[in-house]
Amino acid sequence: MSALLHLTDGHVAYGKVEAVRSVSLEIAGNEIVTIIGANGAGKTTLLNAIMGILPLKGRVSFAGGDLARFEIEDRVAAGLSLVPEHRELFATMNVEDNLELGAFRVPRAQAKTSFERVYTLFPRLKERRKQLAGTLSGGEQQMLAMGRALMGAPKLLMLDEPSLGLAPIIVADIFRTIGELRASGVSVLLVEQNAQAALKIADRAYVMELGEFILSGQASEVAANQRVAASYLGFTHEGESAI
Amino acid sequence: MNTTIMLFLIQDGITNGAIYALLGLALVLVFAVTRVILIPQGEFVTYGALTYASLSAGQMPGTARLAVAMGAVAFFLDLMAARRSLGFRLVARAVAVNVVLPAIVLALAMWSAAHRAGVAVNIALSLAIVAAVGVFLYRIAFQPLAHTSVLVLLIASVGCHLAMQGLGLLFFGAEGQRGPPIMDAAFSAGSLRFTGQSLSVYAITVAFIIGLWLLFGFTLYGKALRATAVNRLGARLAGIRTSLSGQIAFLLASLIGAISGILIVPITTLYYDTGFLIGLKGFIAAIIGGLMSYPLTAVAALLVGTVEAFSSFYASNFKEVIVFTLLIPVLLLRSLAAPAVEEEKD
Repeated sequence: MSALLHLTDGHVAYGKVEAVRSVSLEIAGNEIVTIIGANGAGKTTLLNAIMGILPLKGRVSFAGGDLARFEIEDRVAAGLSLVPEHRELFATMNVEDNLELGAFRVPRAQAKTSFERVYTLFPRLKERRKQLAGTLSGGEQQMLAMGRALMGAPKLLMLDEPSLGLAPIIVADIFRTIGELRASGVSVLLVEQNAQAALKIADRAYVMELGEFILSGQASEVAANQRVAASYLGFTHEGESAI
Repeated sequence: MNTTIMLFLIQDGITNGAIYALLGLALVLVFAVTRVILIPQGEFVTYGALTYASLSAGQMPGTARLAVAMGAVAFFLDLMAARRSLGFRLVARAVAVNVVLPAIVLALAMWSAAHRAGVAVNIALSLAIVAAVGVFLYRIAFQPLAHTSVLVLLIASVGCHLAMQGLGLLFFGAEGQRGPPIMDAAFSAGSLRFTGQSLSVYAITVAFIIGLWLLFGFTLYGKALRATAVNRLGARLAGIRTSLSGQIAFLLASLIGAISGILIVPITTLYYDTGFLIGLKGFIAAIIGGLMSYPLTAVAALLVGTVEAFSSFYASNFKEVIVFTLLIPVLLLRSLAAPAVEEEKD
């Protein structure tokens, strides 16, 4: 199966400082891939660069086409979607308007089905559809940000720290939804500090440190790696010492 | 002063204030969506008014040729921007919007000038010409700078104002012009006399405000404009092109400017540089509204108009001084009330 997203030798720099170095990444259809790593490892930078918010050096192709000359808006139209760390909602507009604008680039008829799909995934949003986005709770805002991204019927949804600052019960809800997305044919690239939850749900995982991937593989293998266990999962395997 | 004079002044102030309100709303809209402080708004007023007056006098306005020339530059820029992915549809669209449309308007303007078409036709043509100039102005001068700071955009804006004012002198000469009124009717209520012209000012202002409210509240493109104003990155992530939003904002601003000009020119003689001063008064209203609030801007505009009317009665030499001095206490209060705002980065 050919990859949905294919990044080869990606570099991202802020001025002279390289925040991401020589990173290669592949995501297939119907797959959840996670990137885990400490604060400041370059995960968010990498996602923003794939979305076109930051300039990316390297080859990146999506659904068979080269993304290099695509603006953010055209990447959205091509089926790539990002839910950024700060969510970037339209705070002074209501939930329904936020969702409607998520479908700006899809035909009107399709937007209708998208509404039903999002309201089924997040019944809370349907209850609050006339409420201003800025007055929602943190968890509801995260749901709305994901909902808005899904309104555009993306092939690949990139989530940046969806669990950040949320109550555990809501985090569980959001991770359950991510699982449901895969079942409905959407691939997910998940960046998380909550490595345990991310590795549990993901098919494959990359571990990022200081701007480079130091490890990749099946999520279960990565979770079993003693260095990962020590650094990101907060325990050591019995009888072994962490490196 | 007696009540009659006071009522006259208030009526005069509200008529002028309604025009300032339209201009102020356009300024707020353009700033919210594109971060451009639209100094050339006054030129849209002048161009609209004098294009209408020229057409009515059977002269061919130079603005129609300007629209064609700007269209050609915009076409070239569009081709350059898309040079790596040129397709037939893209080129055909660029030709239609940038070349064919202004050419049709130019041909109609020539026909209308020669045949002395009616008021309605001349108004429609003037609006079309100024709208084309407005949209192309964004495409040529501001879209390539869209990512820069507010200061750079302001400098570009001043440059556009100077260039357009100079072109205005070239097109219309240094002589002032007047246009035919939209409505000749007039009636009296008590001691007040309402002319058809002042009534059309109120009607069109109210219609525009309702129209804008409907546009922003109920249409997808209107909501996209609001979204761009609220959160630019969010809008881009939803697939909304900020360049499209910018073009729509400039289209609305130039239409509003031209309408204002066409409404004023039957009442006052307009010169090639009059628009700037009128635009500035809309700007004061917009500043009082913090370049953010539409209702506050509209109310402030009525206040500016009324202050202007009263000061022209008491101290007509200092009319402009008094009106512009309004800014100082407002800015002082605002700076005390609001914490320092960092410039948005994106």
